[in-house]
Amino acid sequence: MRPFPMTEVLARSSRQGLATAATVDALHEDFEALWLEAGFVPEMDRMAFSTAVIEAATNVVQHAVPASETPLQLGVDITIRSRRLEARISEIGAAPSSPGISNPSEIDDDAESGRGLNLIHALVSTVTFERHGEDNVWVLCRHSSDV
Amino acid sequence: MQFTVETTPAYAEVNGSGRLNMVAAPLLREVVAAVVAKGSHHVVVNMEGTDFMDSSGLGALIGCLKIARQAGGDLRIANVQPQVKMVLELTSMHRVLTPYESVDAAFSND
Repeated sequence: MRPFPMTEVLARSSRQGLATAATVDALHEDFEALWLEAGFVPEMDRMAFSTAVIEAATNVVQHAVPASETPLQLGVDITIRSRRLEARISEIGAAPSSPGISNPSEIDDDAESGRGLNLIHALVSTVTFERHGEDNVWVLCRHSSDV
Repeated sequence: MQFTVETTPAYAEVNGSGRLNMVAAPLLREVVAAVVAKGSHHVVVNMEGTDFMDSSGLGALIGCLKIARQAGGDLRIANVQPQVKMVLELTSMHRVLTPYESVDAAFSND
């Protein structure tokens, strides 16, 4: 049998909704359905990747600023390839911004916030943040370990 | 997320079941603050039913730890599930919030 080319998309999921906690909650269900389809992805990769995506989506809900009076939308598009898990998290209608990350050694042990972006970077292989038209787009990619 | 509290002479056990995220984080702070205000300064958060935690949830645990310590007590976590363990380790916060294997073990050596 011909092996799957590494670039072939084997499962995908897409969601867009108001940038609210309810939309982030729905992502948990999206992931459950996605892993049923993509059962070959190792447990550690699933856990790390889904945590990063949900953390980024939560960051959008908590920190993204709408560019106008139109309420902000959150878009999440996930594609699963044999060794590459990728998510595009869009702040639709957001004002331009550039989330910075702190040096982990500069975060006090008793700080109650400020760990989200560092956590995302620790969970995935690459993180990019780009401006596309009226949207800010996070692209998170995790190279799956042993498929 | 649902919280229940059980008080023993040695500590109060706070049980959280569901996802410890931006919605649940302020609720956990309220629950622990109320427990400490009632006089239970030693608190164990039983995380057996907590299948997901994000950085807001972690922030809430740290806030609750401070509340307990300011009252002269402490807060410990027990029965941590794999996703929560991963978040604690990647943020190095397992040094501050050391997971215990059971609720009983959390204050057994004090």
